[in-house]
Amino acid sequence: MTSMDVSVGNGGTGANGNGVHGNGPHSVPTPIAGNRVLEGDLDEKVAVRGVNFYYGDNKALKDITVPLYDRRVTAFIGPSGCGKSTLLRILNRIYDLYPNQRAEGEVLLDGDNILSPSQDINLLRARIGMVFQKPTPFPMSIYENIAFGIRLYERLSKSDLDGRVETALRRAALWNEVKDKMHANGLSLSGGQQQRLCIARTVAVRPDVILLDEPCSALDPISTAKIEELIDELKTEYTIAIVTHNMQQAARVSDFTAFMYLGEMVEFDTTSKMFTSPVDKRTQDYITGRFG
Amino acid sequence: MAIKNPNLYRSRRAVNATVMAMSVGATVIGLGWLVLVLGALLWNGFGSLSLQVFTEMTPPPGSAGGLLNPIVGSLMMSIVAIAVGTPVGILAGTYMAEYGRYSYLASVVRFINDILLSAPSIVIGLFIYEVVVRPLGHFSGLAGALALAVLVVPVVVRTTEDMLLTVPKELREAATSLGMPRSHVIAHVSYRAARAGIVTGVLLAVARISGETAPLLFTALNNQFFSTDMNAPLASLPVVIFQFAMSPYADWQKLAWAGALIITFAVLALSISARALSAARRAQ
Amino acid sequence: MVDHTHKAFDTDLQDLGRMVSEMGGLAEQQISDAIDALDRRDTVVAQRVIAGDARIDALQREIEEKAILTIARRQPMAVDLREVVGALRISNDLERIGDLAKNISKRVVVIDAEFRSQRVMRGVEHMAEMVLQQIKTVLDAYARRDLQKAQEVWHADEEVDSVNNSLFRELLTYMMEDPRNIGICIHLLFCAKNIERMGDHATNIAETVYYMIEGRPLVDERPKGDTTSSTVVPFDA
Repeated sequence: MTSMDVSVGNGGTGANGNGVHGNGPHSVPTPIAGNRVLEGDLDEKVAVRGVNFYYGDNKALKDITVPLYDRRVTAFIGPSGCGKSTLLRILNRIYDLYPNQRAEGEVLLDGDNILSPSQDINLLRARIGMVFQKPTPFPMSIYENIAFGIRLYERLSKSDLDGRVETALRRAALWNEVKDKMHANGLSLSGGQQQRLCIARTVAVRPDVILLDEPCSALDPISTAKIEELIDELKTEYTIAIVTHNMQQAARVSDFTAFMYLGEMVEFDTTSKMFTSPVDKRTQDYITGRFG
Repeated sequence: MAIKNPNLYRSRRAVNATVMAMSVGATVIGLGWLVLVLGALLWNGFGSLSLQVFTEMTPPPGSAGGLLNPIVGSLMMSIVAIAVGTPVGILAGTYMAEYGRYSYLASVVRFINDILLSAPSIVIGLFIYEVVVRPLGHFSGLAGALALAVLVVPVVVRTTEDMLLTVPKELREAATSLGMPRSHVIAHVSYRAARAGIVTGVLLAVARISGETAPLLFTALNNQFFSTDMNAPLASLPVVIFQFAMSPYADWQKLAWAGALIITFAVLALSISARALSAARRAQ
Repeated sequence: MVDHTHKAFDTDLQDLGRMVSEMGGLAEQQISDAIDALDRRDTVVAQRVIAGDARIDALQREIEEKAILTIARRQPMAVDLREVVGALRISNDLERIGDLAKNISKRVVVIDAEFRSQRVMRGVEHMAEMVLQQIKTVLDAYARRDLQKAQEVWHADEEVDSVNNSLFRELLTYMMEDPRNIGICIHLLFCAKNIERMGDHATNIAETVYYMIEGRPLVDERPKGDTTSSTVVPFDA
């Protein structure tokens, strides 16, 4: 052994700690040689800029700025009520369903502000799909669950539609389990299968961005592993944002991690940096289980 | 666990036994009346029931006859009432649960609907009398059907709204997230999820109107003869029962019992199918 | 630092730290005994050092098991993860230090020739003292999470290297003067090299401590004063 044999922390852990800390101006983490996450172009698909959000008079998000990079997975972590799900619900404007909920600031999708009143929200939602904590198959057959969304925006022949349904189900690793019962009710599937059906349904309409709001919190470990494998697959094509309470899950599936606390964006950096050497004390305490 | 204070425990048991005895007693009294009513109905009605009841007209006192004209009249008015009241009720319920859930208007409508739901049906009858019968100058089946429709609407509004509110908001959000316009979400997701409940509500409305007498007295009146003209007075089972039961003639009274039995069984059948439907919905 | 919500996690980490410190104490003792044995040609002490290495090896295995178990059960993150990985690395370095002390003691047992060069022996001793001090300091830095001390150790390695270089030249000269010295000189050369390596391990530990505290590696050019691999003495006698 020579004196150079051992070197500490020579992996791709973002040694220069140049992620975002606090609410300061944003900088793209500098690519580091050998860091898989940062290889290739980092294209900012969605840019959240100075977003505030209100439930009535209650300010739930304070000046949030965070990027979602194209074909990367960004995880949002933080204690309950920190605003991570709220942030996700801004990205496809699902909060619009409820009066008294209001967002300020800018969310740019490929440069266009989706919060602007002129945005067609149905078209926006077709581009930014969302999967929820509770599996939500529609009360119709497995086939219809998927074909339904496709038919909204495309007029396809029966055989083309069948093909699209199959592709979506294969993409969601569900095809082999349901190909013989396509006309069974979607609600007859197990919880894990239902959640994959919901992912298939989202993928089927070919969105640009997929938002996952605690997609595994109601699932057993095997189903969770399948969904996580699926996320790895999907990120080759989509921009993915996932909210999770499970820090190990964030560490497993994401390329970037954002830690939120009390409606603020505390820290955003590569996942490898966030889980080995976060900068902010609150991040450190949360990640290591020292909270409160 | 050891019992630390046997006296305290014993007195608690005694209180428990007393309360349970009182509850059981109240249940027996309540159900007892129901059993008595059904028993009297079966005893008197079954004996009067025959094929004739369904095939012949209401007779003059002293001669044989049946209840064909009031059965047909009741059916016709109920069908028209449901056909008119259900769409109005479902649409209003949909507005309240889906579009206007958080609006002031919806809460006003909900309040008024609740009043209407518990309004005495005779008031409804008088209202239709004033609005329809008097201007037209004569009683009619149509006026009767309208009065019944006014009774149908609040029931359907209420059940539709309640059933749509039980559709999880996640389902609506999931459909919306696919880029579905709101009308699509309601028609293809909310209605589908709430379908059994809404149908149950309609069946309950049918059950409610099929026994109503008061609103028909001022509107459809009665008709001794077979008629399918909705623009003329029309016989109905409740009114005929009312009239025949009050009469001094034994054969009319017998027919009244038969009519009462027919209504009771029809309502019972509807209630059971409503139950079965909602059970099927829960099993889903 | 604030305690973990789940207190047993703190206990696990404390146990791990205590085991590493205990192992460090043992390693120090082994080094000073080995040098003592070399200086006095005391084969009894040398044998004791050789036998004592087993205890260090056993401790290393215990630390490894404990660390693996902690990773499996607690899934440590961030500072905790660095703590556990740090314990693993430091115990590895300490185990190697123990092996090197044992190697020196083995040479004490086989050296039989009479060779008295005060300068060489003083040089070896001086180097050993420096390295021992380095190890003490770095273990102290570990126990107290002292960034300053860890960095001191890291920079001090250069001195050890330069003493080693001059010893190397000297021993080469002795060997050229009298071929009968070659056997013992080579043993001494290896002893010196072993001590120099111990210094390198102390530097590794300093880097680990730095990483544990800061969450990023020490990135400056590492001090590298050992030039023996490129040293030539002209053979022109």
